[in-house]
Amino acid sequence: MIIKGGIVYDPANGIFGEEMDLCVDEGRMAEDGKGEVIDARGLLVMPGGVDAHSHIAGTKVNTGRIMRPDDARLGIEPRSGVCRPCTGYTVPNCYAIGYRYARMGYTTAFEAATPIIEARHTHEELEEIPILDKGALTLFGNNWEVMECVRDKDIGKLAAYVAWGLRSARGYGVKIVNPGGGEAWGFGSNVKGPNDPVPNFDVTGAEIICGLAQANEMLRLPHSIHLHFNNLGKPGNYTTALETLELLKDIKPSRMRQVVHVAHMQFSAYGGTSWRDFESKAPVIADYFNSHNHATMDLGQLLFGSATTMTADAPLEYGNARLTHNKWSNHDIELEESSGVVPMVYFRKMLVNAVQWAIGLELALLTRDPWKVLMTTDHPNGSPFINYPEVITLLMSKPKRDAEMATLHEQLPKRTSLGGIERELDWTEIAIMTRAAPARILGLVDKGHFGPGADADISIYNLRPEEIDPSRDHALVKKALAAAKYTIKSGIVVSQEGQILAAPQGRTFWVDAAVPQADMDRLMVDLQEKFEKYYSVRLSNYAVQDAYVPHPKVIRAGIQMEVA
Amino acid sequence: MKTITITPLKAFEISVEAENISPDKLAPLSLSQIRSLSIWQGNRKRKLLDLFRAEGDDGPAEAEDVTITLQGDFSRAKRIAEGMTAGKVEAEGGVGMHAGNNMKGGLLSVQGDAEDWLGREMRGGKITVSGNAGNYVGAGYRGEKCGMRGGEIEVGGNAGAYLGEHLCGGNIRVHGDAGDFPGAANQGGTIFIGGSTYLPGAEMTKGTITVRGRARVLPSYQKMEIMSIEGEDFQKYVGDLVEKGTGELFVRVGSS
Repeated sequence: MIIKGGIVYDPANGIFGEEMDLCVDEGRMAEDGKGEVIDARGLLVMPGGVDAHSHIAGTKVNTGRIMRPDDARLGIEPRSGVCRPCTGYTVPNCYAIGYRYARMGYTTAFEAATPIIEARHTHEELEEIPILDKGALTLFGNNWEVMECVRDKDIGKLAAYVAWGLRSARGYGVKIVNPGGGEAWGFGSNVKGPNDPVPNFDVTGAEIICGLAQANEMLRLPHSIHLHFNNLGKPGNYTTALETLELLKDIKPSRMRQVVHVAHMQFSAYGGTSWRDFESKAPVIADYFNSHNHATMDLGQLLFGSATTMTADAPLEYGNARLTHNKWSNHDIELEESSGVVPMVYFRKMLVNAVQWAIGLELALLTRDPWKVLMTTDHPNGSPFINYPEVITLLMSKPKRDAEMATLHEQLPKRTSLGGIERELDWTEIAIMTRAAPARILGLVDKGHFGPGADADISIYNLRPEEIDPSRDHALVKKALAAAKYTIKSGIVVSQEGQILAAPQGRTFWVDAAVPQADMDRLMVDLQEKFEKYYSVRLSNYAVQDAYVPHPKVIRAGIQMEVA
Repeated sequence: MKTITITPLKAFEISVEAENISPDKLAPLSLSQIRSLSIWQGNRKRKLLDLFRAEGDDGPAEAEDVTITLQGDFSRAKRIAEGMTAGKVEAEGGVGMHAGNNMKGGLLSVQGDAEDWLGREMRGGKITVSGNAGNYVGAGYRGEKCGMRGGEIEVGGNAGAYLGEHLCGGNIRVHGDAGDFPGAANQGGTIFIGGSTYLPGAEMTKGTITVRGRARVLPSYQKMEIMSIEGEDFQKYVGDLVEKGTGELFVRVGSS
């Protein structure tokens, strides 16, 4: 396949809007190509989109679907052509997830939180998501074994557990959610910050985070720790964010990447002492990211309208349920996590929601280096992923932001700096924040760029970057981004003008990390006792079998052992 | 004035999705366009003329000037008058599930019985049923927080269970009995039940329910004074206290 004459944005390879041909051979980018020719003369061409943080599969996503038959009605598309029937808006069914990402030019999406014991369910759903390449991050932040290793300062055993956990869950990376808080929730409380002790475990969230970060780097995992802070979603929580980031600044990364990726930063950049004097602290957070290089973030942008909040942060969801008087699901996951789901509507007229909306945009616009900021909505917590074109156009157009702000609460300009920000992102920055950076931050070497050998995931849009002004023509840009002219996945045209043409099966990335046998032996003694005493399943039935991951892409990592 | 008469060609074994039978949909169409409208029966897509005979005026009209007469048995035709904003639909027999759902204006009158979900999530307009209505009259569909928000439903016979569940407004009048749990989670609508019922107003936070027959009242209702309504004495209750509700429930004295 040859894609002719597109205006190509491939920032990872230093290509910023050059007219050039792209060649595909056997599903990968190549120097030469033959066969089908796609005419992309003058059109915007970028690598396929990569979503590094999205809730697309697993028990809590399915709980959201079960709780919200009202949501299923909002996105009904009958079976047609190669497409199976679709339902849902904030919690779409598996098929809809694949098709809708592909229509927008996205070809990769990572599920952000799976407890090891629930991983089988996650993989059953991932396998049913058509087209996309996928992976799932594994939860470790409230795990008993993790907390005991951290308490005993046994980082070798902790690394062995992380490696064993990733292998058991067929997981991709280390996710930490409200460390210590999820365990405390089992006793009806929460931790107040990273330095608050976890009941019954004699450790703090700070120790858990640092221990897991050290283990993560010891194992040379492709992705860094992926962190959901303590106190998320509470007024004044920006100090928790800064305090936690400071803990990690001296840890050395084992690869050319960050030491910590902060999930949905918007929910942790809040000032004020209560919802009454709630305000944005995004400028302070952005300053921190501008002056430090060990951390990256995704936005978790909030948009007005319907959402479904779902997280392993169960105490947070209890708060949401009390606040909204809405339906609430709460789950305790044995020795590993807790979780919750609450439907939500964000209102334009509500000042708090308007400030939250502004914070996400401020973070993206005030952080100078786009490689540090990923565009996400923390689907479906801030808004469903289907609204990414709205977020992108807000970032590219000051007039659009101004017009939007004019419809919001009159107090808003006093609570945020958004109105004074002139910056409008260009296509290079958008290509970084939606393609190149998420691939680099996740450690996916074959994604997010067009270098030879990279996966031939390509998105071509009905936009002429040399003629169009996204600042002025934002409505046109939004429409074009919502339905790519072509989405190509592994060299196959999967979507054209919003029509799904093919639905090939994607792969599931997981990380197999090697650890010394002695550490693993010590670990197994602990685990045998835990499974005997506490777990509802046997150790031998615990790990996800290969049959559940029939299309794997295994990434090797681990502790480099000296060759005898 | 534009009058269209629609008659089923035979009794349906598999129910039909008849959301196209509404004044808004038919107003701009000619008879031949109406006959070729697509209609789902089960998982098969069919044309209206495969299943129904349609006769009447040919020219285009405004929805408010349209009267659709349904002759024969429509009890297996679902979603009649869905989302209609004006005009009239007059059914000479019964209508199927979801008739008048999301209706915003106009009149749906049914001489026979209505199946479940009559006028669910209705916003305005009026529905009258001379016979009985099924369960979930004026309710919110599965998972929805708000059912009927406005308009009026009148049922001459009895209504099934969960009458007006999640009501957020509007007015429902049932002359006969109502099944279990009428006005559950009522948030501001008005319900009158001429006959008897069981456990009205569970989780009601606002609104009014009046029962002229017998009613078993939930223990989470506070007994208030006796009030006279149109010359009859009613026991007033306030609740549902489980939800710190301020809804009002009236049950005729001497009937329970």
